[in-house]
Amino acid sequence: MRKINSICIIDDDPITVFGIKKILNSIIVCDNIYTYINGKIAIDGIKEMLIDGKDMPDVLFLDINMPIMDGWQFLEEFIHLDIDKKVRVNIVTSSIDPIDKEKSELYKTRTGHTIVFINKPISREGIQKITKAA
Amino acid sequence: MQGTQHSITNSNLIKQLPKSIAFLNKDLEIVFVSEKWTTNFGVSNQNITGKQIQEIISFISEKWLKSLNNSLDGKSTKSEIENYYDENSNQKWLEWTNAPWYDENKNIIGVIVQTENVTHKLFESNKIEKLEILLKGKSEISKIGTWEYDAVKDQMSWCDITKNIYDVSKSYKPSIDSFFNFYKEGYSRNTIAMAMDKAMRHGTAWNEKLQLTTARGKDIWILAAGKPVFKNDKYIGIVGSFQDITNQVQSKSKTEEKERIFKSIFNSSHQFTGILGTDGSILEISDTVLKFTNLKEEDLINKKFWDAYWWPIQDFVREGLKQIIGAAAAGEFMRSEIVVLDNNQKKSYIDFSLRPVYDKNNKVVSLLAEGRFINEMVSARKKLKESEQKFRELYALSPVGYILNEFESGTVLDFNNSFAKTTGYCTKDIGTLNFKHIIKNSTKKTLKRILKELAEKSTFGPLEHVYTKQDGTTYPVLVHGSLVKNGKGEKLIWTMAQDISETKEKEKEIKTERKLLKTLIDNLPLNVYIKDIDSKKILVNKSEVEFSGFENEKNLLGKTDFDLYDEQTAQSYRDEDLRVLNTLNPILGKETLCIKKDGSIATLLISKIPLKGEDGTANSLVGISVDISYLKQKEDELRKLINVTSLQNKKLINFAHIVSHNLRSHTANFSMLLNFLVEEKDETEKTNLIKMLVTASDNLLETIDNLNTVVDINTNINIEKTPVKINDTISLVKKNISALIKAKKATLINEVPDSASVRAIPSYMESIIMNFITNSIKYKHPDRDPIIKITSTKNNGYIVISIKDNGIGIDLKKYGDKLFGMYKTFHKNPDAKGIGLYITKNQVEAMNGKIITCSEVDKGTTFNIYLNEKN
Repeated sequence: MRKINSICIIDDDPITVFGIKKILNSIIVCDNIYTYINGKIAIDGIKEMLIDGKDMPDVLFLDINMPIMDGWQFLEEFIHLDIDKKVRVNIVTSSIDPIDKEKSELYKTRTGHTIVFINKPISREGIQKITKAA
Repeated sequence: MQGTQHSITNSNLIKQLPKSIAFLNKDLEIVFVSEKWTTNFGVSNQNITGKQIQEIISFISEKWLKSLNNSLDGKSTKSEIENYYDENSNQKWLEWTNAPWYDENKNIIGVIVQTENVTHKLFESNKIEKLEILLKGKSEISKIGTWEYDAVKDQMSWCDITKNIYDVSKSYKPSIDSFFNFYKEGYSRNTIAMAMDKAMRHGTAWNEKLQLTTARGKDIWILAAGKPVFKNDKYIGIVGSFQDITNQVQSKSKTEEKERIFKSIFNSSHQFTGILGTDGSILEISDTVLKFTNLKEEDLINKKFWDAYWWPIQDFVREGLKQIIGAAAAGEFMRSEIVVLDNNQKKSYIDFSLRPVYDKNNKVVSLLAEGRFINEMVSARKKLKESEQKFRELYALSPVGYILNEFESGTVLDFNNSFAKTTGYCTKDIGTLNFKHIIKNSTKKTLKRILKELAEKSTFGPLEHVYTKQDGTTYPVLVHGSLVKNGKGEKLIWTMAQDISETKEKEKEIKTERKLLKTLIDNLPLNVYIKDIDSKKILVNKSEVEFSGFENEKNLLGKTDFDLYDEQTAQSYRDEDLRVLNTLNPILGKETLCIKKDGSIATLLISKIPLKGEDGTANSLVGISVDISYLKQKEDELRKLINVTSLQNKKLINFAHIVSHNLRSHTANFSMLLNFLVEEKDETEKTNLIKMLVTASDNLLETIDNLNTVVDINTNINIEKTPVKINDTISLVKKNISALIKAKKATLINEVPDSASVRAIPSYMESIIMNFITNSIKYKHPDRDPIIKITSTKNNGYIVISIKDNGIGIDLKKYGDKLFGMYKTFHKNPDAKGIGLYITKNQVEAMNGKIITCSEVDKGTTFNIYLNEKN
């Protein structure tokens, strides 16, 4: 099984978080899986990691519709962080609004990180494809 | 008797000698004497032959007698000057010359005495005559006065003539001082004083033309002469003379002027003048001729006139000249106009004449030849001819009929072709017409009026008269005329007749067109007007009159926008007018707000077009405006409708997204969990997955429930609103959540007056108030107990209910747009579901209201609910 150092899940829906974790456990080895229930907590956590000199997560699973700070607001702050590593950001959403898709395309051009947009429901195959270092 | 014989033969001869001479015998008795001698000594009428010379010449001196005796003794000729006073006491000087008289045998038989009056010679030649006059003295005719000054006695004496000249009485006693004072101050007085001084010192005489003022104040010119008198070389006085020459001086200056005038005429630059002999030889010629021909006087004088090359002339001309001069010499006055070339080869016209000059005996002695430049006259004559020709052509070709009548008799003198055409008379008949026929079929009254006008103003008309053609049709003719005088001073009438039927026709056409245009303009569904440079309306159509609120156009004409609209509107219109008039750029289709004096507002679409005059500037403008107020109103309504619709649309899209998103997230969970369940072998995990499926199912139910509520609100927008007392709602809510209030130690301050009420849906009102209050309690500040204050105000037709708290506040910059969104929460509060405010907003909007939020993080939030009181 592939091994990934660190993965971060940002979603307010516990069922989705449960699902992603369950699939991840079956396809890779990862010691550090962080979960955050909104963008605000997530960005604060990542900033703390940067300060503590911890390894940045290799892969992010990011929901869009979240209370307090949504996925877009999180992404806006995240791309401005001083991270020397290329991170894979998987936007996982139930939204089929084309505006959200376009927005993700816009972020692809604005950052060196890898941005991927996928719709729920998630499947094992789907997660497997997008769970790898950028 | 030889001597006697001699004397007889010689006596006649001697008598005639032009000299003063006498022959004396040895006894100094007169034998022969010349007439001049007898005259000189005043004895011309006496027989003096045989008389001794002493008897004749009383003043004869010893010296002279001695000399005579010496001559008898054969001594040589001697001359001496003798001073004497004649019978009139005038001092005279004579020179005598004595010579021995010899017979044929050289024997002395007597003495020949020749005397010469040398009085003249003693003075300068030009003064001799004056001195003679002076010495002759009191001649009344010559008006010469004398004076003497005795230096020894210092006495002055004037003769009567002198006194007369000085205008003083005969008893006047002159002195040397008064003598000087008569002379005019300045040149005259200085000159006489200096002359007298010089005479005393150097013995010189004087003769001067001087001015003096007489005792009566008359200024006269005198010729003053004088000389000193010496006795034994000693100065003893002065004698002098005056002659009044005032008249001579004046006549001299007159003569000089005449001569000058003559010379200037003779030499005038426009005239050639010459005097010819009767044989045609040139005697005198003026400078003008010399200048014109570039010849010298000596080239011409004494030449024959026809031989003098003034200018190149041909032989036949020369012959002609000879004949003319011949004719003039015969006493005929000849005159002709000739063309010559000047020294620049330029043509000059000359009026040449020869006038015979007669002497006393009526005989032609010379010819006065005159040539006068008449270039200007010739060119003026040409111009006159040209203009007369032009007039003739105009007269003949003019479409206006002209006729000339005698004023008194009315007889026709002249008329042009157009006259017959205009009046319809037969050309051959016109000559027989009279002035009264000119205005065809005119009544006596008309004719009388015309004659009166002519007499008073020398003109008549223009008057319009109707003429009839032979076929009976009529046409209008414009007739006018004026009184003129011919060279003989006879009064004539010029009458002009002009067929104006075409003009009339055109006028009619224009009238018709104008009427058509007026009708068109009046019936246009547009306001049309023309404004002058002062923005005064000078033309308006019916629509404009109606729009301005007047009954007819007369009331509107001459008015400006300031009379019709409010100050600001009128000023803006005036500014527009000026801009259009000054820049000539039209304003097209400009939408403006027009506020009338009564306050009513109209929206107009205005066009203003400058009306350019012939000089390219605009003095007026055409305005066209359409009242689009009704359209505007409809447009506003439409815009509002579109706004509402698009708002609804937006809401629907939003709702659709919410629905799709929320439902999708649940179904995605179902799908995922069911997949896990199918593949799961572990029973415990299976049970866990089923539990999760139940949770997912509950979540779905709750979501559907919420969506239902929202749909309910939005579909029931037509629920009847009833008046709701705000305080009733607040009390109800307070009661329902009293437990929560108590638990959270919240304070509720209600400042809404009891009278405050709104038209609303009661259940919505309850839900709205409850939501905001619970929201305030839920998001209370962790450091303080919640205080919630409710107030109500009226604002712009709205009732505003304000709910103010002291909670944690919201960063409106960050979350403002999402505050009322579905499932949006902004706080870390686990109770936050993000549905309450969304529903509240929907309920407020369902009642045509709105919510405006003010908030500051850490201070608190105020929700202002605007509810429309009227609805």
